Amino acid sequence: MKRRAVIIINLLIMGFILFFIFRYANSKAEESRSNGIVAFEQMTTTTNQIIVNYLEDEQHLCDIWANYVNSSAQDGNPMTADEAISYIRKVKISPEIEGHLIFPESPEMSGISTTASVSDPGEFNVSYKRISIFDNLENVSSDTDVVNLTRAYTNPMSGVQSIAFLNYVTVLDRESGSLKKGLLMRVVPLSTLEQKLVFLKGEYENVEISLVDQEGNYVVHGKSFKNKNFFEYYKSYNESTAEEYENVIREITGGTGTMTIKNVKGEDCILAYTPLETMKTWSLLAYIPADDLVTSRSIDWLLLGIASCGFAALLIFNSIVLMSYNLKLSEAAQQANQANEAKSYFLSTMSHDIRTPMNAILGLNEMVLRESLDENVRMYSENIRTAGNTLLGIINDILDFSKIEAGKMEIINVDYSFVSLLNDLVNMVQKKAEDKGLSFNLDVDRNIPTVLNGDEVRIKQIIINVLSNAVKYTKQGSVTFSLNSRRIEDKPDSIMLRVSVQDTGIGIKPEDMDRLFVAFERIDEKSNRNIEGTGLGMTIVQRFLAMMGSSLEVKSEYGRGSVFSFEIEQKVIKWDPVGNYEEAFYRSLKERVNYHEKFTAPHARVLVVDDTPVNLTVFTNLLKQTALQIDTAESGDECIALFTQKHYDVIFLDHMMPDKDGIETLREMKAIDETPNKDTPVICLTANAVSGMREIYTKAGFDDYLTKPIDAERLEMMLLQYLPKGKVAPALGSDDSDDYALPDFLFNLKEIDVGSGLTHCGSGESYVLTLKMYLDSAEKNAEEIEKYWAAGDIKNTTIKVHALKSTSRVIGALELGEFAARLEKAGDCGDVETLDKELGELISQYRQLAVDLEPLREQDGEEKEDSRPLIDDGDLKEIYSSLSEFCENYDFDSVVNLVEALNKYRIPEDEATRVDAIKKAVDNYDYEMIPGILSGEMG
Amino acid sequence: MKKTFGRILSLSLAAMLLLQGCGKSEKEPAEGFVPRYDKDTEFSLTVAGSYSNFESLEAEFERFYEYYPEASLEYVTMDDYDNVISSALINSEPPDIFTTNTWMVGNEKYDSMFDACEVLSDPELDMDYSCIRESLIWSMDSGDVVMLPIFTSSFGMLVNMDIFEKEGLEVPTDFDELLRVCGKLKSAGYESPVMGADKFSGPGLFNCFVYPMFAYNVMENSDKADALNNLEASAGELMRPSLERLYEFVNSGCIDVEKCREEITDDYDSVIMRFFEGDVPMMFATGDVASGTAKRESKSGAFSAHPFKYRFFVAPSGDDGGYFINSTSLCFSVNKNSRNIEMTNEFMRFLLRREELGNMAGLKRLITPTEDLSFDELYSSLADIPSDRCFSDKETGLMDPAVRQFRAAIYAVGNGDMTVDEAVAAYGSIPEE
Repeated sequence: MKRRAVIIINLLIMGFILFFIFRYANSKAEESRSNGIVAFEQMTTTTNQIIVNYLEDEQHLCDIWANYVNSSAQDGNPMTADEAISYIRKVKISPEIEGHLIFPESPEMSGISTTASVSDPGEFNVSYKRISIFDNLENVSSDTDVVNLTRAYTNPMSGVQSIAFLNYVTVLDRESGSLKKGLLMRVVPLSTLEQKLVFLKGEYENVEISLVDQEGNYVVHGKSFKNKNFFEYYKSYNESTAEEYENVIREITGGTGTMTIKNVKGEDCILAYTPLETMKTWSLLAYIPADDLVTSRSIDWLLLGIASCGFAALLIFNSIVLMSYNLKLSEAAQQANQANEAKSYFLSTMSHDIRTPMNAILGLNEMVLRESLDENVRMYSENIRTAGNTLLGIINDILDFSKIEAGKMEIINVDYSFVSLLNDLVNMVQKKAEDKGLSFNLDVDRNIPTVLNGDEVRIKQIIINVLSNAVKYTKQGSVTFSLNSRRIEDKPDSIMLRVSVQDTGIGIKPEDMDRLFVAFERIDEKSNRNIEGTGLGMTIVQRFLAMMGSSLEVKSEYGRGSVFSFEIEQKVIKWDPVGNYEEAFYRSLKERVNYHEKFTAPHARVLVVDDTPVNLTVFTNLLKQTALQIDTAESGDECIALFTQKHYDVIFLDHMMPDKDGIETLREMKAIDETPNKDTPVICLTANAVSGMREIYTKAGFDDYLTKPIDAERLEMMLLQYLPKGKVAPALGSDDSDDYALPDFLFNLKEIDVGSGLTHCGSGESYVLTLKMYLDSAEKNAEEIEKYWAAGDIKNTTIKVHALKSTSRVIGALELGEFAARLEKAGDCGDVETLDKELGELISQYRQLAVDLEPLREQDGEEKEDSRPLIDDGDLKEIYSSLSEFCENYDFDSVVNLVEALNKYRIPEDEATRVDAIKKAVDNYDYEMIPGILSGEMG
Repeated sequence: MKKTFGRILSLSLAAMLLLQGCGKSEKEPAEGFVPRYDKDTEFSLTVAGSYSNFESLEAEFERFYEYYPEASLEYVTMDDYDNVISSALINSEPPDIFTTNTWMVGNEKYDSMFDACEVLSDPELDMDYSCIRESLIWSMDSGDVVMLPIFTSSFGMLVNMDIFEKEGLEVPTDFDELLRVCGKLKSAGYESPVMGADKFSGPGLFNCFVYPMFAYNVMENSDKADALNNLEASAGELMRPSLERLYEFVNSGCIDVEKCREEITDDYDSVIMRFFEGDVPMMFATGDVASGTAKRESKSGAFSAHPFKYRFFVAPSGDDGGYFINSTSLCFSVNKNSRNIEMTNEFMRFLLRREELGNMAGLKRLITPTEDLSFDELYSSLADIPSDRCFSDKETGLMDPAVRQFRAAIYAVGNGDMTVDEAVAAYGSIPEE
């Protein structure tokens, strides 16, 4: 997991916990706030009661004054205004409280005060003309239960903000002698009322108690309330619609409750309100900042803070640990990358370094195989080829794996012949199985379509791997290769190809199953240590299958065997069924042919450049039979020199060369104008088979590339592609479609190895002709040997035995050939005893073989008309000329090859005798006679 | 005891200061307020005044709380302020700060009030009010400064800019232009192109039109100012040019005085609300009236429905242009008997700074008394008045009785109760409302 993801998850978890704490703290705070608000509202109600009590008390005192004055009037002894004020002056206890008796009817709203004006100690007259506090005088009641109160106003006598409690009194107008109504005011400083509210400070430190009248005008207000009117204050600092505003007015003037308002700083505040009982014109407002009501909140914040810090510390600690791990990991990754780079470098180097000598080994070995007539040498050579190919397979596996690892392996779908694919597979594996004495069983569904579309190369590779493994790990029993197909319902153009390989091998232990597809893992290493391989095969198979949307299924029982199977979807191009493949296969076995050059091009000239002389030799020899003119160069400079001098039809240029490599050389070549090779294709020879090479070489300017070790067939195919068509002629007898059917009885003859015979003779037809010649001359030769032996002519006996050895080997009578070789050796050593003892047996076997080959004569009569192509006069003359040259150089192998090649052609009648004579001379090893036959002296 | 106040500064000095007054100050800005007392000092202060609402001051209380969070300041509206303030200052609960006006100067009724004032110019107080234009600072005979201006005002007119824009007219800057523009407006259907409150008071239409012209004339003839202040009948001649201009104006058809009387019932609310009806191109008003416009925009249904752009201009009464008289609107004085005199002075130190006075004037929408006249858009036209036509009421040397006589004269002439000659001749005894 990436570091960022870890941190994000950490943060999310922390965020969740913090969120939870926050929510919890908030809900607790909300609860506490609700409780706080309830308590606050209760406090407001209590305060209300206190204030009401106070106001009632004051009103009561006012009423007592009024009652006293009024009772005098009722008693018929009304007081004058001065007497009434004098009475009040006496009874009022508190100096700050004043009594004003005014007459609302008077124009100046004037009257008398108990206390003199502060600015004029002699002045007791008071006027309320400029103080509008008597708007609702009609509401002033004499009822003792009602508080009649003015708004807060400025006492005109003292300039002190005051409130006044009112009651009516009846007094005597001294001037008129009549009774008149006066308004008695108990004037109380507002501060007295404010002091009553101070006690609340202890419980709520920041509470502010305000009193407002019906219009919202403050009677008393705390410092947080601005404006002269609470409703205007509310409007100034709280966004509200007209309707909401009206609601607020209605609520506050109408009942008890709580609301949240904003103060001048925009903070939430709680406002509890309640109307003063007994006087509905005033409302009490208790204001407090909302935060003050949530006392427990600070604790929650502390908890939240500590948790946050703890988490942050944890995160930092984890991050540091993670970073240190990451640092180590990144170092390790860097080292791994370096190792990987080293691996890639190693693979590339290995590819070159191993393939280069392998080129020499396999190429030269190919020469040995072609040219050696000694069966032992050929056997050793064959083993070298097998081991070499195995080694190449291992290298290729490693290279494939490196390609897959690098993501450079691609699936390339092409149309392919299913039969051809099957042929290749069976050809490659069947022999290995039989060599190990295993029975190789084929089970091919007859309905598989003939032409499919898929990655033929990779499919082949997959199956070979599975089959090879089965052979490798099976000591006895059989390997069964099954192929089936089924249609896919929703894909009418495709089939599902099922491939299954069952063996009776050692099997896989259940506990090893998981390691089967792990790269470089080799299962049961101890018991399989002598089985070669990289441990990559199954990994590559599984990767390839995955790329094709499939996978390998394995069923295995340890010690009993395994079944490897898979299914792949393949598009069908041609629905024709393959039919009975097994039969076709066994028949084809009989028709197996050896290497034969595909063409001759004696007038074409190629240049091959390689710094390793042995590679040049291999290259030259591989193409020897095409009669190409081959020039060689061992360095880039040498190449350039030749490039400017002679015309070549194709140039093969090695990539890795000291001093000037292939790419540099090519660049220089391209820059040269004065050259007859302007349009000559240049093909890169490379031992680098790692991915991406084609791109590199084509980008560098090469027309194509050929990997080393050079595959002879690929080389010839490439030459066919690039040589001018006019210079290429089909090889003599190079008709690949050798469909000549060998007589069945030959396969049943123990004395001869048909394959070996076919290899030496080149084609079935040629082989049969050779066999016939062998048969024809057998009796004569047997007799001659007997004759020389009887005459005691050991030398000629030995020569004849030598000839028997050679001819027997050519037709595949390997045992007889060996027998003859032993006696030839004895003859050469003058070992008469051995000859005496065994020569009879040799001749007997020789004659027996001839007898066994007798059915060939019968077939002769049945033979159809000679369908072989008529050889061209020119070609024939060229062959004559070559034969003459080979004989001069004692290159009798070439003579034999050329004469065998002639068997593939029908000879013009006028030359038939000469050709027969040559063949006979060859059969009889009378090579020295050939120049004479050619020159017309028939021997 | 009657005290007389004299002018301290010579005219030349006044003219020099005027230049400063009308232009932008180049002085360094006042430094931030540095409290002298402990932040946690607990105290309560009361500011008394006649404004029923003083939100701009209450905003300053909040700003002051940032330095003294334990303070508690309150503004108290006093009923019958002018009559009560003297008593209030000596009662048991006296205010610490109280509002004063320049017209109170010289009125013996306020002698005791001024006696109770702290001498703000006392060096020991270290009261720095240098940011206030000196031409606006009134001193006692003794030279003591006991009141400092908080707001200033002027006389002029509110102009409906949208009408001028619509009619393609420029706001007139001199009397001839006024006549010409009014002619065009009348023909465009505006019955009374100019309106105002036909009231005796300061914001009355005649006063707004012609008082600055009169004051300027007095300032130009300073030698006769004393006679004018002493209400000598001969000094009435100083009124003649202004009265003749007023007479010319009311008879020019620019204004329908009768209509004004009928439609504008008071000199404040009604002036603003009538102007907001949107059909009056020019409405005579003082800065004090203009300061009430912002709050009343939303109260006017007509203005809410069809808002328009309006500005304050000086009245174009002179032949060469209008006059910008900057009068003190409101002063603050400190009660020297304050029970918390130290903290009261501390608050005054806080308040008497360019920033705070500017804030208050901005909120109140009046003209700041500080040296850098930070005109708001409403008053932007005042910046264009040439400096020789800018002056303060203090510089005129006019005292309240003379001002009242002049007001009575223009009220009588404007309403056709007196001729110009009669008013000039009756100076000193013209009946006041």
